[in-house]
Amino acid sequence: MLSVRDVTTAYQGLVAISNVSIDVEKGEIVCVAGANGAGKSTLLKSIAGAERPRAGSVTFDGHRIDGMAQHLITAKGIAYVPENRRLFPRLSVRDNLRLGSYLYRSEANREEPLDFVFKLFPRLSERLEQRAETLSGGEQQMLAIGRALMTRPRLLMLDEPSQGIMPKLVDEIFQAVKKIRDVGMTVLIVEQRMAECLEIADRAYILQTGRVLMQGTAAEISGNKDVRKAYLGL
Amino acid sequence: MTAETIIQSLASGLLMGLLYGLIAVGLALIFGLMDVVNFAHGEFLMIAMYATFFLFAYFALDPLLSAPIVAAGLFVFGAVVYLLIVRFAVRAKANTGMVQIFSTFGLAVLMRGVAQYFFTPDYRSIPHSYLGGKTISIAGIYLPQPQLVGALIAIAAFAGLYFFIHRTDFGRALEATREDAGAVALVGIDKNKVFALGWGLGAALVGLAGAVMAIFFYVFPDVGASFATIAYVTVALGGFGSVFGAFAGGIVVGLVEAMTTLILPPSLKTVGIYGVYLLVVFVRPRGLFGSI
Repeated sequence: MLSVRDVTTAYQGLVAISNVSIDVEKGEIVCVAGANGAGKSTLLKSIAGAERPRAGSVTFDGHRIDGMAQHLITAKGIAYVPENRRLFPRLSVRDNLRLGSYLYRSEANREEPLDFVFKLFPRLSERLEQRAETLSGGEQQMLAIGRALMTRPRLLMLDEPSQGIMPKLVDEIFQAVKKIRDVGMTVLIVEQRMAECLEIADRAYILQTGRVLMQGTAAEISGNKDVRKAYLGL
Repeated sequence: MTAETIIQSLASGLLMGLLYGLIAVGLALIFGLMDVVNFAHGEFLMIAMYATFFLFAYFALDPLLSAPIVAAGLFVFGAVVYLLIVRFAVRAKANTGMVQIFSTFGLAVLMRGVAQYFFTPDYRSIPHSYLGGKTISIAGIYLPQPQLVGALIAIAAFAGLYFFIHRTDFGRALEATREDAGAVALVGIDKNKVFALGWGLGAALVGLAGAVMAIFFYVFPDVGASFATIAYVTVALGGFGSVFGAFAGGIVVGLVEAMTTLILPPSLKTVGIYGVYLLVVFVRPRGLFGSI
């Protein structure tokens, strides 16, 4: 479904990822793990069109998308939840969600994804009139994922969804990711918390200083001796 | 000074204030949307007034009838100004603020020069129109009909704008772009399209104001300058970027101007406005409804 080939992305001459290749198949949860600064966020930005790769290609459903404008990539069916969530802080929860369905503006198209979002995160439906900025960190993450789901994506990309969230809600969010996959969506998730991520993932990649260090099924990765030592603290 | 003259002048001040609000709202809208001050705002008003004048001169179209046409024309003009000039100015790699200021300021100088060349510096006016020169008496107060209708148009325009921003999907996209222009691509919105439409909308609103102004004010190449200055004050009073602050700011400016003329000689009529403006800048720099 998604194929990233030898992508190199740099910021002002500083190479953040180099020659990274990953594949995501339909219906999978793929986890990209790695330490801070490994290039995980840059990888997602390069796919989403927030950063333009310097070299390599990104193909989604057989179409090249690297170099396309970010809003067009969203329209192609890739929803991206960035690290800092980028909600519209002074707009209500309802308006944030409605904006998610901007591309499909008829009311009939809105109902189904909205029902799904409320089923995943019931607490959002209790806070519809609240401004997004008044939500807790965990609720904001839920809203960001909810807004992304409203674009009716085929591929959902999450950048560190557990960041700045209390542990109880982290689990809730990872469980939601599983449910999102269960309705047929594909999820690419970038995480520092490798253990939790590997628990729900089908396959995983480990990035280190901008390169793919290791790849395999979630079981292979979490069974690997070096990984257990270096990343899982076991 | 009788109570009657005070009421009379406050009433006409209120009407003029609503028009000031309509002149200023486009400026506030564009600033709120992308933090760019359009220094050619007065010249937008000027070309709207000329358009109204020429539609009258060549097609005998009354300003009230040409107002929608002028507004539509200005919409296109505003969007084009964004797409051809401002879009590139905001991308400047160094001194972005200066580049923005000089790009719209330069546009203002250009538009004035072009108007002087093609239309000559002569003062033009529309000699007879449905409303020109007519007054209406309500409970003993005489109100000039052009200003009265202008004020009603202003109220209708603000009501329409309120509905548009709060009840439509595009209005929501506009608000979202105001909040975080870098984030709207996440929901598939093209921010450049929103910016272009925002400039179009802002220009259309000042176009509407220009059509009304042409009924009772002279049309000449520099006509925008004095009204633009008042518009900047209005927007600063109301709170920079706040669309409904511009509405309130316009009313305040109109009333203050009217009260000043009661006390001071006519040549000093703007002293009151700028006095109040200075006061606001010192006491409440973010303006009455500003959120910064």
